[in-house]
Amino acid sequence: MTREQTGAIAAPAAWAEDLAPISDADWSYARARHLLDRAGFGGTPDEIARLAHLSPAAAVRALVDYRSLDNSRLPPFEHSGVYDPTLTPFPATRPAATTLAAETGMAMGIMVKPSGTRKLQPVANRFFYWLRASTLETRRVANWWADRMVTTERPLEEKMALFWHGHFACGGDKVRDYRKMLGQVMLFQQHATGSFRTLLHAVARDPAMLVFLDAGQNVRGAPNENFGREVMELFTMGVGNYSERDIREGARAFTGWRDDDLTFRVDAAKHDDGEKSFLGRTGRFDGVEILDIILEQKVTANYIAGKLYRFLVREGLSPAFQDRLGGLLRDNDYEIAPFLQTIFLSRDFYSQSSVGTHIKGPVELIVSTYRRLGLKALPGVPDFNTASSKLGQVLLNPPTVAGWAQGRAWITPGTLLARGNFARDVVLPDMIDFVDPNLIPDPQVRRVNTRILSGMDITAATSERDSGGKTEASMDKSMSGTRAMANLLSDQEEFNTHYASLKGWEEAVRKIKPILRAPAQFSLTELVFVEQAKSTADAVDALSRRFLSVPIDDEARAATIAFLNEQIGTDDLVRARSYLEEPLRLVAHLIMSAPEYQLA
Amino acid sequence: MPTPSSVKLGGLARRDVLRAGVYGLGLGVLGWGTTPLLGSRAQAADDGRILVVVELSGANDGLNTVVPYADDAYYRARPRLGIRAEKLRKLDDRFGLQSTMVGFERLYKDGHLAIVHGVGYDHPSFSHFSSMAYWHTGAPNSGDAFGWLGRLADGMDPQGNANFLVNVEDHESLAVRARNHVPLVFDNPEEFARGGLFEEQSALTKLAAARSAYNPTEAFLFDVAASAQHAELHVREACAAYRTPVDYGLYRFGLERVAALIAAGFPTRIYYVAYPHNAFDTHVTQADIHTRILTYTSDHIAAFVQDMARIGRGDDVAVMVFSEFGRRVAENANLGTDHGTAGLAFVVGRKVRGGHYGAMPSLTDLDDGNMRYTTDFRRVYATMIRSWMGYPDVRAVLKEEFAPLDIFPA
Repeated sequence: MTREQTGAIAAPAAWAEDLAPISDADWSYARARHLLDRAGFGGTPDEIARLAHLSPAAAVRALVDYRSLDNSRLPPFEHSGVYDPTLTPFPATRPAATTLAAETGMAMGIMVKPSGTRKLQPVANRFFYWLRASTLETRRVANWWADRMVTTERPLEEKMALFWHGHFACGGDKVRDYRKMLGQVMLFQQHATGSFRTLLHAVARDPAMLVFLDAGQNVRGAPNENFGREVMELFTMGVGNYSERDIREGARAFTGWRDDDLTFRVDAAKHDDGEKSFLGRTGRFDGVEILDIILEQKVTANYIAGKLYRFLVREGLSPAFQDRLGGLLRDNDYEIAPFLQTIFLSRDFYSQSSVGTHIKGPVELIVSTYRRLGLKALPGVPDFNTASSKLGQVLLNPPTVAGWAQGRAWITPGTLLARGNFARDVVLPDMIDFVDPNLIPDPQVRRVNTRILSGMDITAATSERDSGGKTEASMDKSMSGTRAMANLLSDQEEFNTHYASLKGWEEAVRKIKPILRAPAQFSLTELVFVEQAKSTADAVDALSRRFLSVPIDDEARAATIAFLNEQIGTDDLVRARSYLEEPLRLVAHLIMSAPEYQLA
Repeated sequence: MPTPSSVKLGGLARRDVLRAGVYGLGLGVLGWGTTPLLGSRAQAADDGRILVVVELSGANDGLNTVVPYADDAYYRARPRLGIRAEKLRKLDDRFGLQSTMVGFERLYKDGHLAIVHGVGYDHPSFSHFSSMAYWHTGAPNSGDAFGWLGRLADGMDPQGNANFLVNVEDHESLAVRARNHVPLVFDNPEEFARGGLFEEQSALTKLAAARSAYNPTEAFLFDVAASAQHAELHVREACAAYRTPVDYGLYRFGLERVAALIAAGFPTRIYYVAYPHNAFDTHVTQADIHTRILTYTSDHIAAFVQDMARIGRGDDVAVMVFSEFGRRVAENANLGTDHGTAGLAFVVGRKVRGGHYGAMPSLTDLDDGNMRYTTDFRRVYATMIRSWMGYPDVRAVLKEEFAPLDIFPA
């Protein structure tokens, strides 16, 4: 396969910004691959060929009208059972937890010891237990979700859920309750291609969102503007289309909205039902009406349509084209599915500006790697969350409420190397050194644990000073008087934070259900022989076709073939069949290390 | 002191690498040990000075950082969040540092800490993302594609020498985005390495490197691939080899990695480090959280300055610390503070003339609850550009002329 044979890349220049559908005559394997890349996470040559045999309209329908496809074999999330109701409400900080306990005798269901040393220790332990347990369980939610992305019959549903997660970005580290994060993911799945109007209203009442943007603290007389600001700036209109006054007035309308553990309620006593002036309208608006006014704004549809287009299709939209996309979304009354249907059939979608110009995000890269391999389950080795984190994306913990900057922002020298390393971890998983990252405590916890088990008392075991006298601080006597303030402060606490951290770890890890740690099961040998490969050149071409949407050039192809020849000592694939797997896996690693592998 | 190797580490200009196709010739396992040496010295007035910029993302509450304890209006606006005078580390009869900022107190007493008050700009944005973009580009409302440090690098070193700009972060900051430089961006040095079996090395070098590009996105990927190939080995080795007795605190957000690169003789002139995850966005029950992150910040920066002195580079390094805006004067109902306007900047280093710069805004003459800024943030930038880095053309970087503050006496 050479670059000239790819087909999909070449398209009439006039297709750019043309939303008219392509014709049946324009349809090809390469375009079907492009569709599956963007409306899903890519797939195997078989899956692409199936789409290519349909008409383009039928292929798009097969991906967008997914509700008739049976997904019931996908398992629901299996809870570990780490939560109990005494954890609600959970104190905002550790000092808040211990202060509450000191004042009332109890916090998080744990009573203060009536006498003895470290009376608040069990309370502090409890605080760290839930932080750790919720963090680990949130990782299991991410793992469960990634497994769905790999195995679902409805890839667009998960792709769009991923989009909404980046759009309505909430972080599990702040929400501190995996159940709320799980609920939010399921909300995104449920409304993935439904009405944006419905979704927006649902998200505004979603417990994870309410906690994440401090809505619960937004009360009459002293509004907290966090949600009021982000709902316009990031979720609907985009910056520059409203005033600071609109933010304050909008925030008033949302006063009293709060989570009630896993449900929504309005605290009427804290709701400001006075008159508000918002986006040129005046009335005693509540949050629902504010959202409806926002949805009436032309800029809202433009903003959402443009963001969707950049996520699914391409960057570099002219203002006029973005306007037309906004019009298309408005014409469909914010219904996402028909909007996507038009997009995925359009000439612009298959134009030169779109095909092969998208940089896969980390989760997309990982999932598409597995789907192109035809895996039937998410591998447990490498660990999904560790892998995506190294690539710059942690599901359920976006960096800020703005979500992830897409496109080129994914790529730095560091993350580009990490992408190649991820490929290696898939094709040559390191089963010798693999340790479940959820079971590795930080060095501090481990050090305290070792000392406690060796019989040291808590104070000595948690001291910063090393009994061996070999700390870095001791390398230079003159520096010993200048320990960092944070380290000095820890000595003065009335109960032991380091010990609490250890006990919290222990209990959390004891209760969390393990993730199955199995590497990916696949045979590249079978995959290339199914495609009738006879020579090393055939094998390299088969793997390139499977993994790359934008092919490598002839020189790189020749280098890869030469590498395989050298590895197997012949260019005759059949002759080498009995020992072909490892060399083919190295070839796959090479191909996936190419810059081209980032593109779809 | 390991500076003499800096020329070697400078490597050759990135664009030249691509033209010459060096990677196609197989740099091989040892990376760029065989890289030909081209001129790597910057063209601007060059005494090897290094600028380190620290970003405190999330909008630091300046009023609870450098507390104007002599001003009753502060305590009136913050009856619960205001820090009482006796709990502060007093700098003088007007201001005191939040109590755990021991490192900053020491820097101030040594005359190495410049505090710039009332930093902001006209028509402030209250959005983290917009305001941060204004700071990153140094050009509010311009939508500029490049950052102010990227433009400074382009101006000082038009050839785009490798590793001129380093960004210790998990993603590339807009502040360092440049026309002629590919910033070296990394977070965890141990993972900044391409793994591969011995027999793969030569083929990997070919596959992972640049070739003729189909479209601009692919050309971009090739540029980054070249930068990665160029730097990985040395970053990893520099960080792994670095030993220091200095205590960088409980949260090491990147300056210890900057120190490692400086000690290893990297030719980098501009480093950019961010305190991540919008940590300073303290809307709710901020007292404990804000105290903690200021502790880490103060510990970490003071340690870095001390460490630079230890390796003999103290006079060559200045640190500029900023946040995208400050917070409202009045506390909110949740023991936190909401987005505000004017904030604080710090400039730290042994060549700094310590003290207060910029006028402290009034806490009573407010603009809709917010302080009126007194010092355009680009004056702080101009100070770093012209007075510190010796690059005369402030206008080329900031698109307008701004007068430097007198932080670096001639």
